[in-house]
Amino acid sequence: MLAAQAGLKIGDTISLAAQPGAHGDKVIVAAIVRRGADPSEVARGDLRVRLHLDQLQTISGYGDRVDRFAVATTPNTDVSALIDRVNDVAFGFKAYRSSDIAVETSRTFQVVSRFHRAIGVITIVASSVFLLCIMVLKVEERRRDIAALRLMGISRATVIRAIVLEAAVIAVLGSALGIVLGWAISLFVNWHYRGVYQTPLSFSIVTPPIIVGAVALSLVLGIGAGVLASLRLARTPPLQLFGR
Amino acid sequence: MRGALAQASLIRHRARTALAVLGVAIAAAMLLDMVMLATGMRESFRELLLSRGFQLRLAPKGTLPFDTDATIPGVSAIIDTLRTNPAISDISPVLGASIHFVGSGRDVSGSAIGIDPAVQGDYELVSGRDLASTDDIVVNDFMWRQLGAHLGDTLTVALGYDPQTRTYSGQRRLVLVGTVRFIYGANDQPGAALRREALEGMGGSGASAGRVLRDRASLFMVRVRNGADAEQVRNWIEAKIPTVSAISIATAIAQVDERLSYFRQLALILGAVSLFVGFLLVTTLVTVSVNERAGEIAVMRAIGISRSHVIQQIVIEGVAITVLGAVLGLGLGLVTARYLNTILSAFPGLPMAIDFFLFQPRAAWSALGLLVVSGIGAGIYPAWRAASLPIAESLRREAIA
Repeated sequence: MLAAQAGLKIGDTISLAAQPGAHGDKVIVAAIVRRGADPSEVARGDLRVRLHLDQLQTISGYGDRVDRFAVATTPNTDVSALIDRVNDVAFGFKAYRSSDIAVETSRTFQVVSRFHRAIGVITIVASSVFLLCIMVLKVEERRRDIAALRLMGISRATVIRAIVLEAAVIAVLGSALGIVLGWAISLFVNWHYRGVYQTPLSFSIVTPPIIVGAVALSLVLGIGAGVLASLRLARTPPLQLFGR
Repeated sequence: MRGALAQASLIRHRARTALAVLGVAIAAAMLLDMVMLATGMRESFRELLLSRGFQLRLAPKGTLPFDTDATIPGVSAIIDTLRTNPAISDISPVLGASIHFVGSGRDVSGSAIGIDPAVQGDYELVSGRDLASTDDIVVNDFMWRQLGAHLGDTLTVALGYDPQTRTYSGQRRLVLVGTVRFIYGANDQPGAALRREALEGMGGSGASAGRVLRDRASLFMVRVRNGADAEQVRNWIEAKIPTVSAISIATAIAQVDERLSYFRQLALILGAVSLFVGFLLVTTLVTVSVNERAGEIAVMRAIGISRSHVIQQIVIEGVAITVLGAVLGLGLGLVTARYLNTILSAFPGLPMAIDFFLFQPRAAWSALGLLVVSGIGAGIYPAWRAASLPIAESLRREAIA
């Protein structure tokens, strides 16, 4: 981002200083790097420079100090015990597990996630009403067919089963179409927001549990709507369904 | 007559009409929420920035206010320069730093700002009194609870803490004189304010003695006289003072827009989907209703009822469902907006005065207008179909049926 904004390219010599206008160190641009997948950096337009620790300490007047240490442990290490030991003997600093820090820095994403869940619930309610409405209309449209079947001696239960089966088939077909559409939208969302926020993070992921959940939900809603609509018609006398 | 016929048609299928109205109500609620989200965030931020009448902010060159620890040197010289511009009425320099309360048994730390009480625009007094001398300090509710102190208590405050030697630097004893609410501060962040000269005095005089704060500021807030062009003043400041970035309300809103563009885009997409769902629902319902009444419509046409009369009656049906749903959706939308706002207001570091969902009558009217237009649009296709029915054939089909 900095390279693009300042028109920098590899090999350029620039001056780095801690204060605007101050006399800085001359440095050469050795590489242009991509932003890492860090949730805390998404939506922030920070311009970043990477340089040797000692050089930054000199430029910033920081002395022999650092903000933090990253510590890699050997396999099978008891990390909790190690953290406790470090904190017991440490003088002036505190050790944290990387995952705890990740949770803290991704608080923004937790809020966004809660927001998405709430929007999801509203969408499900809206879809349920929509589906119910369509099923009621679809079944009512065939009131004369149903009346004819009933007058021919087809049992009420058979009529209900037929309608529910039809509703289930529609729900399955709709779910299949929805999964393909959702997958395509997910690809588009990732492509779009990775470009907008200059990050390799995934914004939308379609996983098998999500697919199973969506299909199950639409089946339940579809069958439920079919049952409700068919019960209503099955209870009405056939002649009344004919409008006589 | 047309209205009565439309009403009769809707009442005939109560359950179906009620479901459609409910569906439109949810779509309308979602649409209203998304219109509120798309416009409210920006408006709320603009209101927040203008709440104390400061139209310009000066931050260290290349940074946003309080985005980094960088400070602007030469505060007195900058104030002198700014005073030469007659369009500027007030200048409020603000110095920011981290502070520690010493001797409370545990380390209570937070951020502090050094201000000039006569021109400050950062906080509102909640209880006690404002800063009168360099020995006074005021804190926000969050810090007050953490300190467990009382108004009038004398507290030892330090500017720096060396973790290697576990010693505090830049200590000063200050009297807690009041509690305040920081306008740009978050609910969950401990904050304090003291006079700028007091905070400056707590800083070191050299690199080895801690952070140098003498004659420095983190931010200047500048109030422009009524009638003066803030953008012109901004350009003048950028040209005159090379160590600062002058940020106008428009620039700040553009920065926030960029950072929160995700929510605007989400609002646009979900709003469009809601509108489309509402449209689809009304179209389907009215189309099915027209198909069912093909014979009835043919009879009406046969006894001389005009084609436009039939079209109007069916369009009225669509609009009636839409309007009923929209009215219901308005209430539903306000309730859901409040709930969604509660979720988003938990964003870390967000000023408590920021609302993501701000109710604006114009936005509500826009949502309602869009829905009514879509309701009219939804009725046009079935109405056209109904009016185009061949009369004799429809009557024959109805008789056979």
